Amino acid sequence: MRTEEEIRQSLRDWIIKTSGKILPEELTDETPIIERRIISSLQVMDLILFLERLSNKAIEVDDLKPGVFQNIDSIYKNFFEGGSIDRP
Amino acid sequence: MIDPSTLAGFRWLENGQSALSGSLLDLYRSLDRLFLRWAANYGAVEYRFPAFIQAKELAKLDYFRSFPHLVTFAATLDESEGNLKRFIEGETINREGEIQLTAQAPIRDVLTPAACYHFYIQFQGESLAAPRHVTTRATCFRRESFYSPLERQWSFSMREIVCLGTAEEVKHFLTECRGRVERFFEEIRLPVEWKDATDPFFNPSRNPKHLLQKLDPVKTEMVFQNRLAIGSVNFHRNYFGEAFQITREGRESFSGCVAFGIERWIYAFLNHYGLNESDWPELDRLKD
Repeated sequence: MRTEEEIRQSLRDWIIKTSGKILPEELTDETPIIERRIISSLQVMDLILFLERLSNKAIEVDDLKPGVFQNIDSIYKNFFEGGSIDRP
Repeated sequence: MIDPSTLAGFRWLENGQSALSGSLLDLYRSLDRLFLRWAANYGAVEYRFPAFIQAKELAKLDYFRSFPHLVTFAATLDESEGNLKRFIEGETINREGEIQLTAQAPIRDVLTPAACYHFYIQFQGESLAAPRHVTTRATCFRRESFYSPLERQWSFSMREIVCLGTAEEVKHFLTECRGRVERFFEEIRLPVEWKDATDPFFNPSRNPKHLLQKLDPVKTEMVFQNRLAIGSVNFHRNYFGEAFQITREGRESFSGCVAFGIERWIYAFLNHYGLNESDWPELDRLKD
């Protein structure tokens, strides 16, 4: 079982590696990754697959709420906090 | 619901276009003057752009994959004398009104699909020393599966007020401008609601850009009577800044626009206030 910090670090590592647009020291858990287009539309699809692997749960794309991918903090809260995916 | 085709000063063309004169043309001009006064509040410089946009510029936005169903191409004949002779000696046009083209020249241009694209092309490669506010009105062209007078036309008029700057500068403009428009709707008691929307992508369920717009809404429409979007407020993030290398404070510029579909505003006025000109709000007398 991963700790919260391990999950957040995995998310940071994935975003930095996938994006190629941001340095590790620039990325905080509040950095708006969609608004600043650190993650592109195509990469959002990869992010969903990554989250499915990391959480070991299926994600229903049609059920996703606006704002869930705003930043690392919102991703953690929506997909990992409480041990279940927060479905709208 | 009114039928505009019964109005004096209105002519509906079966190819999805309308012609205005008389009081309807006066209303068209009054509305555009109103939008220009709003634009002036931001010091927006006005531009007038031509009808065509180079396809290679729109391609930088992946436009042709995102909106193939909307685009209108500027098709011309291959200019060789033999080809032109073959054309004039042929049927030229059939009974269905379809041109019988012979060889075509390569298509390199499209008719403007949205007014604000011209600005990003115009400012390509620039580094902005300050936020930039600009405005233009363009005749825009979008192919649709059906057309309806004033509501859904192949060609229509779009007035846009655009801001380029940092994310904060653009958001400030959009918030302020939306507030101004909201107050206006309250003042003239026009039933308009604001609703999140997405751009009309082709095959949206398979387009990641559509998913992204759903997850992070960037488009809010002014919806008249719960059915017709007469305008929209759009935050483009740094999409255009990146595509056209426009920078602000050393980073890709953000941008946003407030867009008004003038024929749809006329439709809303006619439906809400009636066909009698004296019942319409006196736009030129309103405070901004």
